[in-house]
Amino acid sequence: MTAPLTAFGKVACLVILLALLALPVIGSDYLIDIGTEMLIFALFALSLNLIIGYSGNVSFGHAAYFAIGGYVNAILLTTYGWPLLPAFVTGVLAATLTAAVVAYFCTRLTDIYFAMLTLAFSMLVWAIAFKWRSVTHGDDGFVGVTVPALLDDRMRFYYFTVIIVVASIAVLWVITHSAFGRSLVAVRENLGRAGFIGIHTRRMRWQAFVVAGFFAGVAGALFGMLIKGMYVESAFWTQSAQVLIMTLLGGIYSFFGPIIGAAVLFMLERLTNEYTEYWPTVLGVILLVILLFLPDGLVGLGKRLTAKAKGKDKTEGAT
Amino acid sequence: MKRIIFSAVASTALLAASGVSAQEIRVGALYPTSGGGAIYGGPAMEGHNMAVEEINAAGGINGRMLVTVARDTKLNPATAASAAKEMITKDKVDVIIGGLSSAVGLAVSEVARQEGVIYIATIPKTIQLTTTKLHPYVFRTASHTDFEGDAMAQLVKQSGGTKVCDIQPDYAYGHDLAAGLKAGLARHAPEVKVVADLRPKLGATDYNVFITQIMGAGCDVVTSGLWGSNFVNFAQQASPFGLFNQIKAYISGGEVASHEIAGKMGDDYPPNVISNTYELWYDHSVPGHQEFQEKVAARSGTKETAMWPVLAYIGVQFYAEAVRKSGGTNSDANVKALEGMTLMTPVGERTINPADHQANTGQFWGPMVKREGFAYKVMHPVTYIPAEIK
Repeated sequence: MTAPLTAFGKVACLVILLALLALPVIGSDYLIDIGTEMLIFALFALSLNLIIGYSGNVSFGHAAYFAIGGYVNAILLTTYGWPLLPAFVTGVLAATLTAAVVAYFCTRLTDIYFAMLTLAFSMLVWAIAFKWRSVTHGDDGFVGVTVPALLDDRMRFYYFTVIIVVASIAVLWVITHSAFGRSLVAVRENLGRAGFIGIHTRRMRWQAFVVAGFFAGVAGALFGMLIKGMYVESAFWTQSAQVLIMTLLGGIYSFFGPIIGAAVLFMLERLTNEYTEYWPTVLGVILLVILLFLPDGLVGLGKRLTAKAKGKDKTEGAT
Repeated sequence: MKRIIFSAVASTALLAASGVSAQEIRVGALYPTSGGGAIYGGPAMEGHNMAVEEINAAGGINGRMLVTVARDTKLNPATAASAAKEMITKDKVDVIIGGLSSAVGLAVSEVARQEGVIYIATIPKTIQLTTTKLHPYVFRTASHTDFEGDAMAQLVKQSGGTKVCDIQPDYAYGHDLAAGLKAGLARHAPEVKVVADLRPKLGATDYNVFITQIMGAGCDVVTSGLWGSNFVNFAQQASPFGLFNQIKAYISGGEVASHEIAGKMGDDYPPNVISNTYELWYDHSVPGHQEFQEKVAARSGTKETAMWPVLAYIGVQFYAEAVRKSGGTNSDANVKALEGMTLMTPVGERTINPADHQANTGQFWGPMVKREGFAYKVMHPVTYIPAEIK
């Protein structure tokens, strides 16, 4: 997890980046739409993994920061007519600040108590979005977000998303591969021992939470502009559960795991929804399979399969 | 990862390229068909399919067949917005019909505005859809809260009550209906006072606090928009207190006079209820209704039928007529065709107002009483209150 990119990894990243840039040229409006949405959810899942995979705490309330970023950006753009840059930045900062306050309390706890408190705070955010009708329009939804003319075009908004998301992923990569990221892993692996060697564990967990809130806010702000609306469902616990499953599906012990999880779950949901209304059943089965057979997600499965293949090659070579 | 993305891209590209024929008229249907909304969305989808099958059996429209592309909204506006976009960009639908909750209606309408594709709202009632959020591509064949509130005000006047307790679910529909009722009372019965304004949570199960407040407020009429299970829970808890016997009338929007509610509650259905519904399976006062109802009954396998199918059915009827009139699926031409269009539906004649794209969808109102030949309370006499605000 903390190993730098291998040569293969570098090539893979380059290929994916080129594919992303070329998508609108070869693709239809549909591909551009799902590409944009998938990128946003990839960033959302990746931000959550900073709390789960790196600092070792399960958050059941990550949707709160997604929703705050989305709502604040949408309201400032639409109700107050702010330009994009200040609105976007303020939205992300609002998410970050809320995360800072929530994390102050949550990081005093661990395990299930931590998870429950994150859930409680996120439901508070949901309740505010639901009840503060004069500002958020409650459960009618904040419909008709004013997107700046420059981005009010499918392809341009896609490229905007690619730039923001790729830059965010790069920053997250640097963070997780710095001394900070490595210390976080130490905290995850053994909280007590990490404390003994001089790591301020609570502060580190707090910092990870704040960074995660920041990037969830970025994802939320992008999402609100993509669907040109923000809805209270985006702050509800089911949204937190969805991104949690994305992260688990991809694999929490790998940097890129959540991105893969987000992409796979997103496409599965889209394709399933076309043929049947039993998506919740499919989701339940996926969750069961992850918990029972794939504790380290798809990336873990991939690693085990390649290791097995390599092991087999070696034994064959020996005989 | 690379492989996953490539295969996902390839499979979707394949799907996108497959089976879209220029000859078909592609109709997107958006109803909740899973979870809590499925009890409404399921029957609505039946009505939609029935309309499409009937049109196709009669040779389609100008020789072109209708094809339905259906998606589950899961009652979630963000999901509905994504699904609507996907239906337009990938499935190339020519129109989107449906929606259930107000939030889903508004979200889908926003997508319709961006993409320039017609959206016909068949069930969402929020007034905003045809006022503050109105745009050229949105039409509504459902009623709305101003019509419903106005009808309730007329019934309050008829009941002779002077003090009203208003109890509404605490969300978009309840708020809008309360506003519609107040405006209606000012028009029809300015002497009537609203003495209690109560807002239980949507989906609440314990109404005891509200029941005692109503009992103590001294009102002679209760008005409400508690619908579905909200009404069932409220009525079952209020009956032992004698609330329904103490008042002149319980005047309710939210279609609690429909078969779904009255049939389900049976003898538990309280007295003195005056309510509304879009359709009654036993009332054939509109020509053609009997035939329609028998077809729905044959599909559902029960003599009694729900009121949801007709709503979806009417949405398809309007779009089909627009295509017939304009000669194609061009959105702008069909907007022109729909504006001012008058159609005969199984529940009466409907005209779409060209100014606000709202159909003059009134509802059937009347007291719920026990009658011979019925296992549960039914509406009698049935009065159609037209959608007019005077």
